[in-house]
Amino acid sequence: MTRLLSPARRMMLLAASFMLVTGLPYAAQAAPEGSIKIAVGADTTTFHPHVNSLPVGNAVDMLVFEQLFRMGADNKVVPELAKTWNWSEDGMTFTVTFETGHVFSNGDPLDAEDIAASFNQLLDPKSGSIYAGLYASLGKAEAKGADTVVFHLTEKNGHILMLLANSAAGIIDVKANTAMGAEYGRKPVGSGPYMIDQFIGGERFSLVPNPKYSGKLSAKLKKIEFMTVPEDGARMALIETGEADIVDRVPAESIGEINDTGTAKVILPDSMFSISMELLNSGPLADPRVREALNISIDRDGMIKGILGGLATPSVGMVGPGTQDELRATFPPKPFDTAKAKQLLADAGYGPDKKLSLVVTCPNGRYIKDSQVCQALAAQWQAIGIDAKPQVLDLSNWAANSRLPLDQRKDNMTMVGRATAGIDFTLYRLFKTGVSTNISGFSDPTVDKLLAEGRATSDVAEQKKIYGEIQKTIWDKNPYVFLWYQKQALGVSDKVHGFAIRPDETMIFDNVTVSSN
Amino acid sequence: MYVLRRLLTAIPTLFAVSLLAFWFVYMIPGDPAAKLAGNMATNDEIAAIRDHLGLDKPLIVRYGLFLKGVVDPAIATSYRTSRPVVQEISERLPNTLIVAIGGLAIGILFGIVTGVICALRQGGWFDAAVTALTLAGISMPIYWLGLLCIWLFAVTLRWLPAAGAATPAHFVLPILVVATRPAALFSRLVTANLLEVMGKDYLDTARSKGLSETHVIVRHALRNSLVAAVSVAGIQFGGMIGGSVVTETVFGIPGIGRLLVDAVTGSDYPVIQYCVLMFATIFIVVNLATDLIGQWLDPRTRSHAAA
Repeated sequence: MTRLLSPARRMMLLAASFMLVTGLPYAAQAAPEGSIKIAVGADTTTFHPHVNSLPVGNAVDMLVFEQLFRMGADNKVVPELAKTWNWSEDGMTFTVTFETGHVFSNGDPLDAEDIAASFNQLLDPKSGSIYAGLYASLGKAEAKGADTVVFHLTEKNGHILMLLANSAAGIIDVKANTAMGAEYGRKPVGSGPYMIDQFIGGERFSLVPNPKYSGKLSAKLKKIEFMTVPEDGARMALIETGEADIVDRVPAESIGEINDTGTAKVILPDSMFSISMELLNSGPLADPRVREALNISIDRDGMIKGILGGLATPSVGMVGPGTQDELRATFPPKPFDTAKAKQLLADAGYGPDKKLSLVVTCPNGRYIKDSQVCQALAAQWQAIGIDAKPQVLDLSNWAANSRLPLDQRKDNMTMVGRATAGIDFTLYRLFKTGVSTNISGFSDPTVDKLLAEGRATSDVAEQKKIYGEIQKTIWDKNPYVFLWYQKQALGVSDKVHGFAIRPDETMIFDNVTVSSN
Repeated sequence: MYVLRRLLTAIPTLFAVSLLAFWFVYMIPGDPAAKLAGNMATNDEIAAIRDHLGLDKPLIVRYGLFLKGVVDPAIATSYRTSRPVVQEISERLPNTLIVAIGGLAIGILFGIVTGVICALRQGGWFDAAVTALTLAGISMPIYWLGLLCIWLFAVTLRWLPAAGAATPAHFVLPILVVATRPAALFSRLVTANLLEVMGKDYLDTARSKGLSETHVIVRHALRNSLVAAVSVAGIQFGGMIGGSVVTETVFGIPGIGRLLVDAVTGSDYPVIQYCVLMFATIFIVVNLATDLIGQWLDPRTRSHAAA
């Protein structure tokens, strides 16, 4: 027997059902509470995701903009606005449908046209985008209906999700950008959970909740304030006095002092920053025995402890932790075996009568204790009979030297730290024959073929096999002297809960809350 | 007429500075486009950014644009932020001036007061204490003194904030730190000058009129001593603007010094060039001002300057 409900009861039931379906999730989200202060060493100049290259800017971009996909604290790609996605059969078209109903902080709706316009601006080198090259394979974005964006690719690329999850792919309001010009970089208009409240160049900037945000990652804090304090001593003083809740780039010598305050602790998460001496695989270093000798004649553990104050871990592969761990391969660390190194050099024809002369270039102030590392490396190679000359250059000269064509380089190797989110991007640019960023001159036909295959496939199992083989070849052929992965060091107040930082040094505030003591 | 003549002679000086600033920056190794693009960018990508920044234009054209940028802010934009350089400078300059003028004012005040007392109480304990302090003030590096002050007043005593520029309290430490050198210099200078003129006939004449010793010193002796002090003040002010790089880095103050350091690090050529031009302008204006104040204090120099 069916019991009929009166219109009034039916209305009430409908309203109750509606509240259950729509209202409860919002009721479950707590209102923003508390504020947090972060002191960082680097001076942020812009938050425009197409030109920003600083981890601090990435952290802000993740809060201010929404993306089709995003990278979580564990560096894994997850959908944000995207609902479904697929490649066409020929692999040359990538289609994404997304959640509608989102709006920018200025009230403008975010639709397919906006998403397409945002990507097309990112892809346009004339717009000044520094990522136009990185994203070139996306080709052109096209809006289809209200909830679909189609990318017409320029080449098969099975790593598109990585590109779309990078914070450079944050969806900007192109109309607001055109109207605001350069100021958009300081007060960007996005549809993310926060918006910029105040920006005082070189000193501080703050974020407050975006009242128009309608996504799942709603703001948990009333205010997030960043202070720029480049001097290490002053920055550490801020966490010691409680003026800041988080400080980045804690020097090794300050770790104990901060831990002793009783109100803050230093955390040491992994960084994907992989530091190597990138060799010129020509001249004397064309001989693989010499390259191996260089790799096994240095005491990485001793250098990390003695010079870096423990802020690193020895390399176990070319790419650092967090660089697409599902595709990353690791190997036993290079041994420290000076006897074998001397033998390898002797086999290559070098000895007391015919000394191997090498010029070892390092920057000054780019990586942790880089100039000291340069001296120590040279000393350890001198210990096995190599005439190694350290050459420490200022940042401009070091960068210019690295960009010289191989036949114009006067040194034999240079220290470079690499940290990119994508394994395809990193390996392709560093080891593909003839690519201008391949400064070692490494060339291997098999690696070239595998790199092309790895890019063309979207099958993760296949990618794992291909990239595993590429990484093994690179590790065995020693085109670099693989040194270590840098560690991050941040001072975090005991009041802060849920703070995370990705291996690419992007701070994640999704779940951060603060307590009163 | 004198002021007008001095201002007119500044034009060729500024033109020469503009030429030097432009060419020196051009000679800095490194490529701004490569810096912006990052170390994984290919040559083609860097070339596209170079084109966007106008770096592929002939040098003479770029110099012409640089000069045009002095009057047209739309042309003079930062490579890193794309904002007009004048906007970047105008946001930062007040912080630099607060520290420099505040430091100089406190330095002069402290220097004159202690200088006069030391001259009056030569050889006493106060003289000895001020001598020790001024020696320390002259010889202590600002960087080290700044960190020492942060450790003492911010970390240990918790009286003042360690870094930033959000409130007036943030400026107290930097101003005190930059005041040490001028304070020490002025103190030594005023004492030495006062001791030199104390026995002069014109002071005896003043004393014979029944004026008190304090009156004699303040109204007659000190005024002449200040002539040299004013030119030192001009040089010190210039030094403080130049030295703002260190102070602002230590105390995290967003001023011109930090702007310049960041511009050099980021190869932001327009910001470097226009900052240098602005520094030169400030030096010229300060030089002119010190000359005029010197003439006002010492009438004998007026006829010489007018000749």
